[in-house]
Amino acid sequence: MEVKSIIFINCKQCLKKMEEDISNKYSILITPMVFIMLTVIGWPLIRTILMSFTNEGLMDLEPVKIVGIKNYIRAITNNDYLSALKVSGIFAIAVVTSEMILGTLVGLLVNQPFKGQKIVRALLIVPWAIPTVVNAMMWKLIYNPEYGALNSFLYQMNIITDYVSWLSTPSKTLGAIIFADVWKNFSLVAMIVLASLQSLSKDQIEAAEIDGANALQRFKNITLPHILPSLQVALVLRIIEAVKVFDIIYIMTKGGPANKTRSGTIFIYQEAFSNSRLGSGATYAVLLVFFILIIILLYMKLLNRKEE
Amino acid sequence: MKKKIKTSRILFYIAIAVLVVYILAPFLWLIIMSISSSTDLSTKPLSWIPKKVDFSSYQELLHMGKNTHGESFLFGLRNSVVTSFTTVLISIIFTFPAAWVFSRYPGKKNVILKIAIVTFMLPPVAYALPIYKTLSTLGWLDNSFALAFVYCTLVMPFCAWLTKENIDAIPFELEESAIIDGAGLFTRLFRIVFPLMMPAIGTVALLALLMSWDEYFYAMLFTNSNDAITLPVVIANLASGRQANYGLIATGGVIAAAPPVIIGLLLQKSLVKGLTAGGVKG
Repeated sequence: MEVKSIIFINCKQCLKKMEEDISNKYSILITPMVFIMLTVIGWPLIRTILMSFTNEGLMDLEPVKIVGIKNYIRAITNNDYLSALKVSGIFAIAVVTSEMILGTLVGLLVNQPFKGQKIVRALLIVPWAIPTVVNAMMWKLIYNPEYGALNSFLYQMNIITDYVSWLSTPSKTLGAIIFADVWKNFSLVAMIVLASLQSLSKDQIEAAEIDGANALQRFKNITLPHILPSLQVALVLRIIEAVKVFDIIYIMTKGGPANKTRSGTIFIYQEAFSNSRLGSGATYAVLLVFFILIIILLYMKLLNRKEE
Repeated sequence: MKKKIKTSRILFYIAIAVLVVYILAPFLWLIIMSISSSTDLSTKPLSWIPKKVDFSSYQELLHMGKNTHGESFLFGLRNSVVTSFTTVLISIIFTFPAAWVFSRYPGKKNVILKIAIVTFMLPPVAYALPIYKTLSTLGWLDNSFALAFVYCTLVMPFCAWLTKENIDAIPFELEESAIIDGAGLFTRLFRIVFPLMMPAIGTVALLALLMSWDEYFYAMLFTNSNDAITLPVVIANLASGRQANYGLIATGGVIAAAPPVIIGLLLQKSLVKGLTAGGVKG
């Protein structure tokens, strides 16, 4: 059946028919998706919560006992867990801030007309497209204390006289990982900012220029408000990813040295799978989810207040 | 005055040059490592340009032989392709009709969409422990299709949200006129909305494909042999072992990064549009 004519009418009958159609059939359309989501998301989430009140192990060696809130008391008094959460927090704040600033600056820079602009803009997608695992492994090679490119480069430029073990010096490791993550993900922010800048009309900026606004004023009063919604999208996307960081740290250092880069998720993974304690691992996971939900709620509240 | 403009222009080009080096240097170095001989890679300090181009790492990784790196790499490649395509297929088939309902009938049911988006923000460890138990009880560990099913945890909420945003952009009047012509629900859905949605669904599918291709955590937990192990896990294993052949590790990285980088360079515009479409409006 083909659409013979597109007639623009406000058709109450149609809407009514649609309502009837949907109320009869919507369940058929949504059910399969809901069913899969309940199996792979809903049920596991509930099981995790139930698990967190037990002493369940990885293998069923002993009968599972309910231990009440014992796991929770142990969790919130466990300094190792708290310092793992701190690592996640520091990592998230550091990477998100750097990526937002660097990404915005690069977006503004590349938005200016220049020769070879098309190529440079196209290149922006390269870091983002590289898989996280490859990025982690690439930087691990670059940071290699013996044959890594970074040491070689710094040595040849006479910046350092001795090779540095970037990934096994506790004071440098987290910074090195943060640098690697920023390299990959600033490009997403830059592309989002650039896309948004391209819909900004030049007339507006020219008008402000004639009115005598300087570059900073123009940015503050015209450009920034224009790209703000896009920046918010980028911010949310990056925060969501950064607080649950696992891959890049785990591949580069496994959480070491001396657990200095062990994030919350790595801590939970080790508790559940290396120490074979699913029960208390689940407790840590539930607490992490709780903290992330608080962040989401705070953010939404902040947005609502702004809109008011 | 003119001089001032000139210096600022020079500074501008210096900034652009720094940017290009920053973006390209690490990845170019990875490519150079992949075609260097192991002697070139173990001189101290490094000689940056390899004395001779050496493709032996590529030969080793792309050659099938029993218990070789090539064997696990090629199986990883196959499994990654199977797992990610299966995930995308399942996700698109099941989320498209649901997303249509979310878009056209935004009533109480949109609570489902909101819950889905919130779950998208939670860390995979929140689901992984019971999923591991269940898969191990069912004997489904180390199985590509089970893994694809687990990947729906990540990919489905994303697809549902992005598809819904895209259907919002299709004028309802098109469907109205079809209803006048007597079209039923399924005709509207698959004859009218779906064809118009083809480019958007293509973008959503591509983003979902990149997501699954990238996934490491679940794959590391739920697979361990050539039957289902995926490329990210193979590469992470290469990099974490006592493997001293850096060229081999680099080669694995270059091959795994090639498909997404090429796709990205070719389809940058639609990918970025797809990524931002959802958020900018909502």
